[in-house]
Amino acid sequence: MTLEELRKDIDTIDAHILSLLGSRMEKALLTRRLKADIRDSDREAFVLTHIANASRGLVKPAFSRELFERVIVESKAMQTENPVVAGFQGEHGAFSEMAIRAWDGKAAAIPCREFEDVFEAVESGLFDVGVVPVENTLGGVVGAVASALAYTSLHVVAAIDLPVEHCLISPPGADHREIRTVYSHPQALAQCRRFIERNRLRPEAYYDTAGAARMLQENAPAGAAAIASRLAAEIYDLDIIKEGIQDASINRTRFFILAREKARDEGDKCSVVFRAEDKAGALFKVLELFAKKELNLTRIESVPDKPGDYAIFMDFEGSAGDDPVKAALDAAASLARDFRLLGCYRERKI
Amino acid sequence: MNNLKLVAARPSGERTIVDVLGLRVGEGLCVIAGPCAVESEDQTIRTAVAVKAAGAKMLRGGAFKPRTSPYAFQGMGLKALKILALARRETGLPIVTEVIDTRDVSWVGEYADVLQIGARNMQNFSLLREAGKSGKPILLKRGMYSTIEEWLNCAEYILAEGNDKVILCERGIRTFETYTRNTLDLSSICAVRKETHLPIFVDPSHGTGILSMIEPMSLAAVMAGAQGLEIEVHISPSSALSDKDQQLTPKEFALLMRKLNRLHEFLPELAAMKGEEP
Repeated sequence: MTLEELRKDIDTIDAHILSLLGSRMEKALLTRRLKADIRDSDREAFVLTHIANASRGLVKPAFSRELFERVIVESKAMQTENPVVAGFQGEHGAFSEMAIRAWDGKAAAIPCREFEDVFEAVESGLFDVGVVPVENTLGGVVGAVASALAYTSLHVVAAIDLPVEHCLISPPGADHREIRTVYSHPQALAQCRRFIERNRLRPEAYYDTAGAARMLQENAPAGAAAIASRLAAEIYDLDIIKEGIQDASINRTRFFILAREKARDEGDKCSVVFRAEDKAGALFKVLELFAKKELNLTRIESVPDKPGDYAIFMDFEGSAGDDPVKAALDAAASLARDFRLLGCYRERKI
Repeated sequence: MNNLKLVAARPSGERTIVDVLGLRVGEGLCVIAGPCAVESEDQTIRTAVAVKAAGAKMLRGGAFKPRTSPYAFQGMGLKALKILALARRETGLPIVTEVIDTRDVSWVGEYADVLQIGARNMQNFSLLREAGKSGKPILLKRGMYSTIEEWLNCAEYILAEGNDKVILCERGIRTFETYTRNTLDLSSICAVRKETHLPIFVDPSHGTGILSMIEPMSLAAVMAGAQGLEIEVHISPSSALSDKDQQLTPKEFALLMRKLNRLHEFLPELAAMKGEEP
């Protein structure tokens, strides 16, 4: 092994340590919501003893104890600071995390495996908000999110409309000419199909775009690249071969910010969900209410729920405080089944 | 020249116009200018802005440099391509850059608008085929040891792949003359215009390698029928990492452009002149 090779290994290990430290900080921040005081001396003593006992070989107990004392101090400082906790589905670097950053640059973004995990953690009070993709200009409605939205008690407090810029990223220093395989979420691979063909790459499906970037950092497989966000490239310390490789220039995703309480400020856009009666003209009668009040519908989407039953999602311009909106909402609530105002909020286009 | 099929002049006399981001190469005078090599973002963007102001239509800049010595500056590679893309965003100038490796063709094509095949690679047939398959406009330079027929056969390789967007560029050949870096064969302009339908450019920077000859040779090339020029311009030639003795300053380039434009205005008048009885 050469000095250069050893140092490269050390850099990779450092990246692992930092990433794990980040995960530890996230868990520590969440414990704040489940314990009475920030300081818990019994728990601190347990952690430090455990760490000292588990130290082996070149890692001396005194050293690891000192190191973790520092980590605990930092954890407590962060709990005191108590940033807004925003959950999202995917790995760090996912487009949902970019939406969180666009919404509130200081929020702590916490990754979750599934969309249901995001909804549950916000409902239970573990997270302050959840940020979920609702629809994409190329891929359409995000089915799993729509199903969860139909049943949730959460409110939409804001929306973010974000451009989706896919990047081809590779392990640092890798020769772009050696790239053969490209890993990403099937949706992202589909959005970059022409780029992939042009450069004669082999697409390989992965569960998440940012997850593929993380895999590159951890395993650095030969001849492999990933398609993910610019943020993912930054987080996992990878090189960007090319930005903006999606085939269509207009690729945007709309995200909802969900919370337990309604938005405090007055919004200019509303989202509702309902079921229409299973008879002729039922949906038309609901739509007619909004047309008569001259409310501009910006989205209407029907999502299959139970067999033969559809949840209908509708967005329109206006504030829930305005009289015409109130009148339309009241009338619609008595006409449609399970009619619910998901939220009145402001939407920001990035 | 009998073996030329796709490259040979059409019986109708119709000439090929190569479309580069809406710029019609082969119509009017098209000057490609920019540094020999991309050395930094600052150097490239400043040069790009200056050559655009002077009237250049496309930006050149080497990312992969084929150098005589393996120890000389080899170019910044992918990083240079990204800088060139930035320069295009700043100025709107299409990008011309050389590709020297078959494995790079698709990647360079992702960033550049015209792929240049340099004199040293003129007869690299696998590179010509890859360039042809890319469907990108190609600037094919004449090899320094090549006859006109050999050169046109290389263009034939690209057209045979279904890509007719080829621009030919004379850049001088090796002769027994050592005074100049190469002997700039301006007579090839007339030969190319007679034998083919492709646009013909001239590179007076490599063609002479002598700063003071760039202007007269540029004017002579346009006079002889060249449809474009490729000229090396550097924001500060004395500090250039390659070809420091043959790059013009933006000021020198601007003066040259003014002279070229005046000459170009005058050409139709010459062309319209008819013989009269003495």
